[in-house]
Amino acid sequence: MPQEVERYRKSTRILHWIHAGAFILLFLTGLVLFIPQLGILAQDSWTRVIHRIAAAIFIIAPLIYIPMNWKSTKEGIKLAFSWGADDIGWFKAAPVYYFLGDEKAMPPQGHMNTGQKMWWFMVIVFGIIFVFTGLVMWFAKTTAPPAVLQWMVFLHDIAFIVTGCMLFVHIFLGVFHPLMTEAWNSMAKGKISADYAKSHYGKWYEETAKGKEVKK
Amino acid sequence: MAERAILYDATRCTACRGCQVACKQWNENDEFIPTEENGVKSANWGSYENPPDLSPTTWLKMEFREVAPDGKVRWLFTRRSCMHCTEAGCVKVCPSGALYHHELGFVAYDKDICTGCGYCIEACPFNVPRSDRNLITGIAKMDKCTFCTTFGLDRIAEGWEPACVKTCPPKALQYGERDALLTEGKKRVETLIAQGWTNANLYGERELNGLHVMYVLDDQPAVYGLPVAPRISPATIVWQDVIQPLGWALGGLTILGLGLNYLVARANIIKEKEKEDATRS
Repeated sequence: MPQEVERYRKSTRILHWIHAGAFILLFLTGLVLFIPQLGILAQDSWTRVIHRIAAAIFIIAPLIYIPMNWKSTKEGIKLAFSWGADDIGWFKAAPVYYFLGDEKAMPPQGHMNTGQKMWWFMVIVFGIIFVFTGLVMWFAKTTAPPAVLQWMVFLHDIAFIVTGCMLFVHIFLGVFHPLMTEAWNSMAKGKISADYAKSHYGKWYEETAKGKEVKK
Repeated sequence: MAERAILYDATRCTACRGCQVACKQWNENDEFIPTEENGVKSANWGSYENPPDLSPTTWLKMEFREVAPDGKVRWLFTRRSCMHCTEAGCVKVCPSGALYHHELGFVAYDKDICTGCGYCIEACPFNVPRSDRNLITGIAKMDKCTFCTTFGLDRIAEGWEPACVKTCPPKALQYGERDALLTEGKKRVETLIAQGWTNANLYGERELNGLHVMYVLDDQPAVYGLPVAPRISPATIVWQDVIQPLGWALGGLTILGLGLNYLVARANIIKEKEKEDATRS
């Protein structure tokens, strides 16, 4: 009988999709400013209005989630900042694993593997940079010194490039990579099979998920 | 085509502000006169200068300065408007191509496609572009002097001089080929020096690789409120010339890498499966 374990709670999944939706809108309406040929789409500021609406969602969604889910927020932040020997092991084993599917050298991973943790870390750090620089450009556009605004746009752009590239990686691994067969399920339905948990998140399975399996 | 320019001779200017009026009239930049009804009070702020600053509907403004070197008061006038730089910060940062170099060298502007991002306002070393901005929605449109090339109001295409030059009574403003005006300006500076104005200089010959509005001054540029060494800020240069190309390269490599990963990983996993099936049977 196939068994399943819970991976992401409903509130976490809702936050993920709202945040992802807002971020993709922000990404696309920002990208328009980098392709002069698409400048026509940004005419009369309307992509910039969408950018602001999406930005409000991007900021408010976690602000609602955090006080309602304080415990998992704390755990999540702790996770993003705990790095160890297994992470070095992951980096060494990653090329062979992701290209050739050979997992012999891969150390057992926690709730998030090193790659996911890296993305999660960036979401926190660059998220804060995005929000701070964005708010300055939004509300202090007419009052801040020009030099400050120039550096704000500069930092906003660096965050955009890094997280933009990582967004592609994230979508690719979640949806297209041939080994990540249940990544989509974990965020769409919240559950993954016990077998998938054992092979992909061995440490997490042993420490947390084991014994909590439910029948499919 | 040979580049064109405007030469402003501050020593001939009487600050009649005819250029300001002509600029507004030609470009249809009506600014309402303060009345009780529109609730804007006018106030004396101790200067003949009016309006107080450049604005989306004031693209050219005469500035008045009182200086007293050696205790002798001098009243100086400066023409404030777009300087039409060759190395233009605004053109460098404009994401939509709304700001661009006209074939005659100056910085033209297609207002229709302006996104209102305001990057040009921050990048301009002369603090010239202006916009009205809704601080909540961010909706904005920039405005600045277009060298009288605004679509539908293009004097240059008609072979006419800009409106400000046309109206100038003391001929303090001249329009023509940039090289000819350079010679003219240098000659004027020499004359001034010979008359004892030892600080006389021509502003705009080399600044930002050459401005398309040049000034004949009888004193240091700083005395006239002009930036001594205008330049595009390092933030803008690094952003546009390093970070953005790097961003495109990184984005391209990421997509390429992922495509490659997909093909290799899929091929390998199929091969593994076949091997498994073969050993099983």
